[in-house]
Amino acid sequence: MNITSGNMELLSRVLSVASMRHDVIAQNIANVNTPGFHTLQVNFEEALREAMDAGNAGSLHTLSPQITLGAGGVERVDGNNVDIDQEVNRLQKNTLLFKVYTQLMATQIAQYRSAISGH
Amino acid sequence: MSFDNLLVAGNISASGLAAERLRMEVIANNIANAMATRSANGGPFRRQDVVFEALMNDLTGDSLPNAGSLGGVRTVGVVPDQSELPRIHNPGHPDADGDGFVTLPNVFLPIEMVNLMTASRAYEANLKVLQNLRQQLEQTLTLLRS
Repeated sequence: MNITSGNMELLSRVLSVASMRHDVIAQNIANVNTPGFHTLQVNFEEALREAMDAGNAGSLHTLSPQITLGAGGVERVDGNNVDIDQEVNRLQKNTLLFKVYTQLMATQIAQYRSAISGH
Repeated sequence: MSFDNLLVAGNISASGLAAERLRMEVIANNIANAMATRSANGGPFRRQDVVFEALMNDLTGDSLPNAGSLGGVRTVGVVPDQSELPRIHNPGHPDADGDGFVTLPNVFLPIEMVNLMTASRAYEANLKVLQNLRQQLEQTLTLLRS
C-alpha cells in the first residue's frame, strides 16, 4: 500500500520546479545589462497538464522541467530582450506560488502526524 | 536537491549585484572626470564602459542550459569609449593646443545619468530576487517546525 499520497509527490515536484524557476529569473535579472543575452524560462506545468489531460498519469515521474528561451520584451539595440518589470512580476508570482506549495505541504504533513498519533 | 543547489540563486543574484555596483562605480568615475583634460596615459580622460558576459557553465554552442549551468553574470572588463573627443575654443586654458582649442573628455552627463538610473534599478531588482529567495527558504523551514 502506498502510504504517501500522490499529492506529496506532486507538491515536491512543483516545489523543485519553483525553486529552479527562481534560479532562472535570478539569471535573467543578473543579466539585464548583458549585450546579446536572451530571456530564459522554465517549462513544466503546461507539459504536465497536457500529459495528464492525455490520461498519462505516470508522466509526473518522467517529465522533467526544461529551460528554454522565453518571451521577453522588445529586443534592445544591444541584442538583450530582458524586460526587468516583467521579470520582477514573474519573481513575485513564483515566490507566492512557492509559499502556497509549502503551505499545502505543511498541511499534508500535519495530517500524517495526526494520523500517526491518533489524536 | 542538495543544499548547494538551493544557494545557486543566491550566487546568481550576488553576481548581478556586484556587476551593477561596478557599473555605478565606473559611471561615478566618468562623471568625476567629466572635465579632466589630463590622464595617466596622456591626453584627456576617456569615458569608460563596463562589458558584461552571461555566465553559463558547461555550455557549448547554442544548447539550452539546465538548472546547474546558470552562473549569473561576469564582468569581462572596463574598456575606454573610443568615440570622438569634443574640442572647444579656450586659448587661456593651460592644455590648449597651438590654435587655442582644448580637447575635453567624451563624457556627456545625460548619458551617464541615464546609465546610472538603469544600473540602480537593475541593482534593486537583483536585491529583490535575493529577498524573495530568503522568504522562500524561511517558508521551506516552516515544514520542519510544529
